[in-house]
Amino acid sequence: MKNQIGRPRPRTLAPRLSRRQFLTGTTATAAGLALLGRGPAVLGQQVRELQVWHTEVEPQTVKTVQEGSIAEFERRFPGFKVRQQPLAWGDLNTKLLAAIAAGSPPDLTHLNPFMTASLYTKGLLRPMDELIRALGEKDIHEATQKLQYFDGRYYGVTHAMGGIYIAERRDLREQKGLKPPQTYADLVDLAAALTEEGTRYGLTMPGEKLYIGFSFPAEWLASNGGSWVDPTTWRPRLASRAMVETLQFLRRLNPFMPPSWSGQKYLDTLAALATGKVAMAYLSGARTIGYVERDAPEGMRDPEHFQPMFRPHGPSGQTGVSALDGENWTVFSQSKYPQEAFEFLRIFYKREHYMKYCHSVPIHLTPIFKSMINDPEYLAHPRIRKWRSWHDAMITGLREHRFLPIGFSRPDDKLLPFLAELDGSGIVADMVIAAMVGGADPDAAAVRAQQRAEELLTQLGFKRWS
Amino acid sequence: MRKSALVGWALLAPSLLLLGGLVGYPILYNFWLSLFAKHAFLPAQTFVGLGNYRYFATDEEFWRSVGYGGIYAGSTIVLQLGLGVVAALLLNETFHGRGLLRGVVLFPYTIPTVVAVILWKWLLNDSYGLVDYVLVATGATRIPPAWLGKDYIMWSLIVTSVWQFFPFVVVTYLARLQTIPPELYEAATVDGAGAWRRFLHVTLPQTGAVLFVIVLLRGIWMFTKFDTVWLMAGEGGVSQYVRTLPVYAYERTFTYLQAGMGATLAVLMFGLLAGATAVYFGLFREEEIVS
Repeated sequence: MKNQIGRPRPRTLAPRLSRRQFLTGTTATAAGLALLGRGPAVLGQQVRELQVWHTEVEPQTVKTVQEGSIAEFERRFPGFKVRQQPLAWGDLNTKLLAAIAAGSPPDLTHLNPFMTASLYTKGLLRPMDELIRALGEKDIHEATQKLQYFDGRYYGVTHAMGGIYIAERRDLREQKGLKPPQTYADLVDLAAALTEEGTRYGLTMPGEKLYIGFSFPAEWLASNGGSWVDPTTWRPRLASRAMVETLQFLRRLNPFMPPSWSGQKYLDTLAALATGKVAMAYLSGARTIGYVERDAPEGMRDPEHFQPMFRPHGPSGQTGVSALDGENWTVFSQSKYPQEAFEFLRIFYKREHYMKYCHSVPIHLTPIFKSMINDPEYLAHPRIRKWRSWHDAMITGLREHRFLPIGFSRPDDKLLPFLAELDGSGIVADMVIAAMVGGADPDAAAVRAQQRAEELLTQLGFKRWS
Repeated sequence: MRKSALVGWALLAPSLLLLGGLVGYPILYNFWLSLFAKHAFLPAQTFVGLGNYRYFATDEEFWRSVGYGGIYAGSTIVLQLGLGVVAALLLNETFHGRGLLRGVVLFPYTIPTVVAVILWKWLLNDSYGLVDYVLVATGATRIPPAWLGKDYIMWSLIVTSVWQFFPFVVVTYLARLQTIPPELYEAATVDGAGAWRRFLHVTLPQTGAVLFVIVLLRGIWMFTKFDTVWLMAGEGGVSQYVRTLPVYAYERTFTYLQAGMGATLAVLMFGLLAGATAVYFGLFREEEIVS
């Protein structure tokens, strides 16, 4: 057999295939593949997706959750796939509200405690009493146990706790022979003593709205005998003595802070502390340790140089109070797979998984279980051993009731259904910035904020005062 | 005749539907929304009529935002126009490397806003920014200015915006410059006109129409500019000193969670722009027609 140019046609090993055979074979293969692809569905094992949102975005935490709780859940619930979505803290509220509005919230999510009341009153949350009992109701630390407890039922459980402090250059303070500040005035004096013009400022804080307009003001109110609103009438108390005294204190503090502090972000302030540009960072959790170990000069990456301090109290307060970082897990009434979400939580809190989870960012993720906080296995982690004073500060703060959830000026603020809107409005941030860097008179700034807050609550339908 | 009219309408229908759906409906819905006290995400809403409009008439924040928006839009337009026209005139001359320079001038306009803002925030940072480093290193100052602090944030925002958007003026103006007949310049030169008089009596009248359009478009775009302002100042901090109307509308909707209020601000912004455009046309339309 020859081809057209006279060369022998190469022999082929494949048998000749007719067009009909080719078409039949292709169709059968395609059908087979399609069937295989939908195999589990055909067999009644359709892959279902459990949507889990959380705010712990550190890569090692995400990996720990994936390889621990999620892997076990997927083994125990074949046909289910868990999709975890880590979200930055600031993005959570908006994304969550949009998902609720669209009628498709995640099955399980972290929720900021100050939002819980708002969603509970709208009937959007699912109770989880059975889960809490299974986890050990009495073993859950009192600082978090009843944050989502409404009308005799539990609607959330905190994932982990992290105290907020002032992080200081302890060595610099001790060189000056000064003690940790107890009052607002002490902090101003300390910041003044540690400021060296042109080379180092005494203190810095982030200018982001979340902190300067919500988290810090709640702490200041709590530390100076004040509260966001009147507990009975819900009338805002932004022009109260507690707040005005705080604004006066902040004005005195401002000269010892970098001129551009109000444009700085949280991580900028930690970098400034680690690199020696400031002597104190007002916002610090145990995450600071990671930045110190990375950015501080060799030989200074230790608790002898970097130490946490509690918040000072104001002239009208008794104890300095700071925020306890710790969102709660929540299951929505609209969740698609609520029972599986609760099962996931049982696995998440299993000792072997939960210990690894807490160790993924040690001290920042302090366990909620009293039995685990001082467990030798938990304390054996190398970073906790090295930075033990930070862990001890956390324990002391819990014991002395120095923590409140983020944005709370008093424990009963969990009942206020408008804290998310107050936070979002930026009214308080405007007040603080105007008084601190804008040169506004503290009284005038407070009165203006009070008027704006009253207008806001009236517009939202929460006005109870006359 | 009647049948042909029907056919005409039928042929127009897809375009009308498209315009109605994509332009008309959102505008009307926004206006409708502005009559309600409506939560941004939850289904709660109450009809308040013109209540939102009455509120903003006396809202200090609103008027402050209008003021900041006016300062920002006005100054950036003037600076873009000045810088853009000068650059276009220079790039219209013949010199070695002109083609390359024309390409380079376009660069700021082609990069994404987020990149431009990050770049400028990095340059202007008082801890590690290049600008302050140079100022301190050359002895111009001992304490570096806080360009992103309260006193300079508006200036920093204006500089960033002018840098990013002046190439639009360059390109548009240059295109018109290239179509002016050279004979006009030759005749003016023969008549003894110097460079300045040639610009005043030949270039400017010839480019009046394009300047009219540039000011109109850039005015609208700068007054409604959101991304640059938001990325530069964000929330909290010194943002209240550059809180323009689009930012305030965004905050009312997505952070105060008051969608009705946000919609009202959008309608007011539209009204302000429409009014300003009408005045602008009234003042300069004749010049444009003559041109």
